[in-house]
Order: sequence, then C-alpha cells, then structure tokens
Amino acid sequence: MIVSASPPAARAASIEVRDLVVRYGTVTAVRGVSFSVAAGEHLTLLGPSGCGKTTTLRAIAGLEKPTAGEIRIDGAVMYDAASRTQVPPERRGLSMVFQSYAIWPHMTVFDNVAYGLRVRRERESDIAQRVGWALDLVQMGELAGRSASKLSGGQQQRVALARAFVFSPSVLLFDEPLSNLDAKLRAEMRVELKELQRQLGITSVYVTHDLEEALAISDRVIVMRDGIIEQIGTPAQIYDLPRNAFVADFVGSANLIRGRRRPELEQGGFVVLETQGGALIHGVAHGRSAGREAVFSARTVHLQLSRERPASAHNVWPARVRSRVFQGDFTQYHLDWDGRRLVLRCVTSEPVAEGTDCFLSVDPRHCVLLEE
Amino acid sequence: MERTERARSWRPGPRLVSVLVGGAAALLVLYPIAYLIQASLSVGDPQSRPPDAYGLDNYTGLGRYAHIFGNTLLVAATATVLAIVLGFGMAWILSRTNVPGRAAFEQLMAMPYYVTPLMGALAWALIAAPQSGFVNQLWRALGGEGHILDVNTPWGIAWVMALFEGAVAFVMIGAVMKSMDPALEEASQVLGAGRMRTMLRITLPLVLPGVLGAAVFVFAEMLGSFSAALVLGLPSRFYVVTTAMYQLVSQYPPRFPQAAAMGVSLFAVMFVMVYIYRRIISRGTYVTITGKAFRPRAMDVGRLRWILFGVCLGYLSIAVVLPVLTLLYASVQRLATAFPRAGNFTLSNYVTALSLDAVRSALWNSLLLGCATAGVGVVLMGFLSWIIYRSRLPGAGFIEYVVMFPQAVPRLVFAFGMLWAWLVFPIPIYGTLWLLLIAYLTVFMPLGIRTISGVMLQIDRTLEESAQMCGASWGYRLRTVTMPLLRPGLIAAALLLFIASVRELGASILLMGPKAKVITPAIVESWFSTSSELTAAMALLQTLAVALALAFLFAVARRALRPVGE
Repeated sequence: MIVSASPPAARAASIEVRDLVVRYGTVTAVRGVSFSVAAGEHLTLLGPSGCGKTTTLRAIAGLEKPTAGEIRIDGAVMYDAASRTQVPPERRGLSMVFQSYAIWPHMTVFDNVAYGLRVRRERESDIAQRVGWALDLVQMGELAGRSASKLSGGQQQRVALARAFVFSPSVLLFDEPLSNLDAKLRAEMRVELKELQRQLGITSVYVTHDLEEALAISDRVIVMRDGIIEQIGTPAQIYDLPRNAFVADFVGSANLIRGRRRPELEQGGFVVLETQGGALIHGVAHGRSAGREAVFSARTVHLQLSRERPASAHNVWPARVRSRVFQGDFTQYHLDWDGRRLVLRCVTSEPVAEGTDCFLSVDPRHCVLLEE
Repeated sequence: MERTERARSWRPGPRLVSVLVGGAAALLVLYPIAYLIQASLSVGDPQSRPPDAYGLDNYTGLGRYAHIFGNTLLVAATATVLAIVLGFGMAWILSRTNVPGRAAFEQLMAMPYYVTPLMGALAWALIAAPQSGFVNQLWRALGGEGHILDVNTPWGIAWVMALFEGAVAFVMIGAVMKSMDPALEEASQVLGAGRMRTMLRITLPLVLPGVLGAAVFVFAEMLGSFSAALVLGLPSRFYVVTTAMYQLVSQYPPRFPQAAAMGVSLFAVMFVMVYIYRRIISRGTYVTITGKAFRPRAMDVGRLRWILFGVCLGYLSIAVVLPVLTLLYASVQRLATAFPRAGNFTLSNYVTALSLDAVRSALWNSLLLGCATAGVGVVLMGFLSWIIYRSRLPGAGFIEYVVMFPQAVPRLVFAFGMLWAWLVFPIPIYGTLWLLLIAYLTVFMPLGIRTISGVMLQIDRTLEESAQMCGASWGYRLRTVTMPLLRPGLIAAALLLFIASVRELGASILLMGPKAKVITPAIVESWFSTSSELTAAMALLQTLAVALALAFLFAVARRALRPVGE
C-alpha cells in the first residue's frame, strides 16, 4: 500500500447558526437554536431521538428549509429568513456522511469517491491521484475497483467517509455515521474517525445519540432536547458539570438527590442539602445559585461502597445492598439509602453480597449542584 | 470563489421544468375530460361544436338505458365473484399448501394476463357460439338438439372476463397472503387455539381487507371493460355501457351527447369504486404494513395436494392453453370446424393476413406506436414520478391526483373525450398516429407511474441527497444517480407500456383514422366483416409480434441491467 502524498489544502470554514427554527406543518422540530463553530473545530450535537439534532444538521447542509433564523458559513449567508435566502446544498461547499452511508450501488468504489471531483470537473489524472489518497487514508485502497453493492457495512462506511472528504470541503457534516455498525466496529471507527479529523483539520459537525462517541471525538458538545439547546461545553464540562437534571441523566448515568438548603451548615465553599430522610450532603455549586430547594447530581461511578466506615468528615452514610448486577467491565449495585434507591457502579475484585449493610461515601467535589 | 461562479451560470431549475411537465400532464388528462363533460351537457344540435345549448336532458334521459346499466352490473358482478373465487383459490393453494410444482405454477400464473380478453373472447366464440361453436357441433354430431353452450350471453362474457381477471385477483390476494407474518398464526396456535379457530379468528381477518380490495378493483375494471362484451355481446344484441356507448358513437347519425352522458355516469361510478378501493387499501391491510415478504409455512394437505394440482393445471389449461390452441386450430383451416379433415387444412389465412396491406400496415403501426409510447412514456412518467414522490415541490400532490385520474376512466370513455377535444385542436392531428400516441400516453400514465414509482420509493432518499452534498446540480444528480438506479423500473415500465399499447382496443377503436389503422381494432373489424379463420390468424400474429418484440427488449434489458464492477 502506497500512501499518496499531497493532502489537498483544506480551507476550514466557520459556521454560525442564529435563532434557527424548523417547523414541519404543526410540528416544530427545532425551536430557536444558536451556536457557532470555529474554523477547524469539531462540534457534536448530542441528544435523544427527536431532539432536533439531525434537523439542525440538515438545515446547515441545506437539505431542510428552516422556518426562521440565519445560517452563515465563513460569513456568507446560506440561509436567512429575513432576506428569504436559501442557498441550495450543492452550492454550499459542504460535505456530509449519512447514517445510511448512501453509497451508490450502481457504481464502483472508485466512482463513488470520485463523484464530487467529477462534479467539479477536475482532470482525470488528478482525480485518480486524489481518490487513491482518500481510499488509502481509510484503508480501502485495494478495493477501488470493487462494485459498491458488494461491500460490508464497515467498508461502506469507509467509502462514505472517503467520498465526503476527498474534494476538500470546507465543512464535514456527520449524521450518526456509526450507528449502523456493531459495537466493536463502532469503537474502532471512533478512534479512526478522530485521527482522520485531526489529520484533515476540516471543521466538522457531528450528530449522535451515543454519549461515548460524543465525548471521544469532539472539541465541544451541544446537548439538545425538544428542539432547544440544554448545554454547550467541552466534553469534560458536560460530563463533570452537567447544567441540569436532563444533561446529568443523559450524559452518563447519574443519581439525582433533592433536598432543602441548610445555609447555616455551609463552610469551605460547599453547599449543604438535607434530604427528606434527614441525610446531609455536601456538594459544589460552581457559581450556580440555588433556591430553598435544590438538586445534586452524583455520577454512579463516583459513589463508593465500603464495609468499614471511611475516615472522611462529610458525605458518609450507612446503606444496604439491595441487588447486584455483574456487567463485565463493572458491577452495578442498587442500594437502599435514605428511604430511596441509589445506583452505584464500581470495579471491585471483592463483590459485596446482596443484603449486606455497608457504608456509602462520595467526595463532595463530585456532588454537583444543578440548575432547575 | 468557485461557488459563486457556478451560481451565476443559468440552467433550467427543477422547479421550472417540473411546472412545465406537471402542467403538460395535467393538460393531457383534464383537457379531454372537460370536453367529455361539455358534450354530455349539450342539448342542442348533437353535431354542433361547441354545443349551442346546455342542459341536463342527456342525464335525465338515461332512464331509457336502464336495462343497459343493469346488464353491466350483472356481467361485472358475476365476473367479479368468479374471478375472486379463482384468484383466492389459486393464491391459497400456491402460497399456503404443499401442492406439487408450486414455484413453477407461480411463474405460470402470469400467462393468463398475456391472453387478452379479446383473444379469450374470440377463442370462446369459436368454442361455444350457439351455431358454429366447436362444442355445439360435437353435441349435434352426438345426436343432440340445438346447443348446450352459448357464449353470446352475459354468462359467456363474464366467464371470459373472469378467466382473465382471475390472474389479476391472484396477484393481489397472493401478495397479501405472502406478506402475512407466519408468527401471527403461530402465536395463536402456541396460545392454545386449534387450526380451525386460528383460521377463523386470525388468518381470515388478516386476509379479508386484501380480498375486498381485490374485489372492488376487479369490479371497477369490469365496469369499464369493452372487448369481450363487444365480440360476444354484439351478435345477440346484448349491450353493456361501453359497447352501448360505442354503438351510439359509431351509428349514423351518431348520438354524441347521449354517449357522453353515459360515459360520465360510468366514470362517476368507477370513481367511487376506486375511492373505496383506495380506502380499503390504506386502512384495512394490517399485514402489508411491514412490506416484508415472508414465506409462510406450507400446510401439508396430504393426498389432497394432487387434487389441488389438478385445479391449478385445470385453470391454466382453460385460461391459456385451450384458447390459444383453439385459435391455432381455427387459423389453419379453410372453414373452422370441430372435425379435422385433410383437405380443410391450409396456411392461406396467414399468407392472406401478411399480404393484405391493411393488416401489414396496422401491425407495423401498432409496433411503431408501442415503441414510441414506451420510449416517450418512460421519460415522461419517470419524470412525473420524480416530481410526485421526490421533488417536494408544492403541487406534487395535485399532480399525483391528476395523473392517476385515467385509472378511474374507462379507456373508451376517455377516448371519447379526446375525440372531441382534439377535433377542435388547431394542429390537425386527428386521424393520425400522433393522436393515438397522445391517447396511449394519457391512458397508460397510471400504469407507467405506478411501475416506476414502485422502484423509486425503494431508492433511499439519501442516495440523491449525498450526490447533492457532493455538489452535483439536480440535472447531474438525475443523470448519474437517480436514472441509473431507476433503470430496472424504467425497463419494466417500458415493457408494460409496449404490451399495453400494442393490445389497446377501447381508445384505438374510436380514435384511429382510416389511413392510420392499428392492429387490435383491425382484428375486431375482421371478426365482424371477414372470416373467423383469418381473424384467428391475425390474433396469433399479433401475439407472436408482441412476444418477439418482448424477447428482443428483454435481451437489450438484460445487457443494460448487468451490474458494474467485477
């Protein structure tokens, strides 16, 4: 395999979306979304199905006609409700990888990848070189002559990828590109995709409902629900400091603990809540304000289980193991605590039996105050 | 920037072209309908165009023809019941039992469709006409009196039509039976219901909407059917609506307004039937929702399977083998008779048919028209399908409604509207093949669009969208992605359009001019004015020509369908 040189100079573009609204008849899929993507940045739209993430992506692509708002790419207006501008997708200079791959079955692998270059009337010799380069990059160089209808799912996915970046688009859009692959292949492709992204340096917008994927490949993540943005931040911010209950729950599994504020006990920068059952919890506010009642989010992996009472001063309570589920990489415990159920995940060599009384503890820095 | 340069070069956009094509299609359909309605409201001098007085007298006067409407209902109802029994029986046997040769039979079930109602009618007239019919000749030779079979009756017409429509019903009901998930029945049995209870409570309710849909569809087709009623009904002066209309138009002086009123009434009834059919299809068929094809478990019917085998063989023999052999037998005789005599055999009928200029030119015209209809039709209907199902242009729904309109109008009635419409058209195309081409393109629009859109709907929309994301303009996309993927559908549509055009009677018989004849009406003319032996030869020659043309087209198609790469 010869890795051809000369990756063409990709001119990364910035994207600006302002007050985007997309309505189909009476259904509003996207209700006023604003964000921007810097040139070369990798942004992910994350959310459950029906949250409007794919619609937002397709509006950027030009495949959906929005109802209101504005979309600019590198400052040029692509859609503007006020001036009734809608640049058709083929003139936006973007590219896209589809969830279904959309590999044309009546063409060879080579012809599929060459398509965008032929549309741009490149010389055949340049096309051959560029297609070779792209196929090598996705490790499909040897299958260039194969009929596209004879590819496996993973191979189709690689061809779709090569086809999308070969003509040096200014932005790459990904619509759940890995969701049709099996779990193992998906994990592999995630890593390859990330490497490829960094190598090409193209601005990308990525849509997924898979948390791990979003955290793995993005510079920034936007969590969406019901057509609005719930939180924008780096993967670490989203994971460590979920803004509200929805994000906390959707981004990894979290225990939500509600309680009454006890300002008189607060010291050392901690916020203290008292639950209905009387347990006191110390947590961090990160500048967020709380009313008389508030909610903490504590990730299931941050809770700790021990037979002996730990030494720390705060956030140690007795609890009882109600059930235990072995899941391979970790063990999930369901605990009776404070008159309710808590979920805890840990990697232990020494499993605690069901029905055992033990101690539950959590570092106050991992109890995050949520906005309501 | 490259982007803006490309934007400046002007090409016709999808919107403009779609408006033009959609508008043209709407005009093709609605223009004749408007003239038909206008004609039906004419109460002045029946020959004057446009009418000099309007009124509803033609409709109120329809009471005089009540018996004709009664005849039509009788024939249509009888044939529908018979066709549904045949179709249901065959569908059940071939999809749910272990009858021997089931796969082969399933293929062969397409054959009755190639024996047109006209061929069937000619053959059965030879077999069972009261005087000259072969069966009745045999009966008298055995010492009988008069005749035992008479095909020149409503029952005869219904019989011939049912043999043909049985294959249509089989396809429709068979599709429903095959799309039924066998797990639904198995679940019932697992939960303790016996085979009988499962049949009554699960299978029947699931299949019933499909059967009802097929019944309504066949009934509507029967109301508008023409050729068998013409060939078998005319000798005994038994008229249905279509043949009565034809009579009113072709007699002297023609009574256009009455015929138009009759046509509009028939069209109204069929419209309701098609509406009911679509309601049943869209609401009732729970089983077709998944669209998945299952191979239901075949029931072991024991020794009964040989009886069922006989049933299948019997149907195919009566619907296909018997008519074709009869025509063949008659066509090689000087005087068609049931008893073979050495001196009676001849090939002169074929020689005559092929040497008569009228027949030769009619056959040639038909093949030419068939190719033209297929060629132009595929482009036009392919584009219409794209507008309706893919373009997302405003008005696509309206275009769909309009182009499917001819489905609800008997071709004879439609041709009648065209007769009037194109007579006043400034470009003189009346009496030429051009008018027939326009007629075929109009009346077969639903056939072509349904065939093409069936394939088009299976093409994932993202295949086109990804071409768009690669920067391809709509014309480029259409050429490089949509059209090649549609090729199987386009070829199938071309074949169907070709067959349908070459065999067309109802529209052709009204619209062909004396100097531009086509073959099917020529066969009917020959039946009533020359000999039945020559007619049989002509009918077989037509079938042979269609078969040869199809074989040629198939060969071309196979090459076109070869996959890329490897």
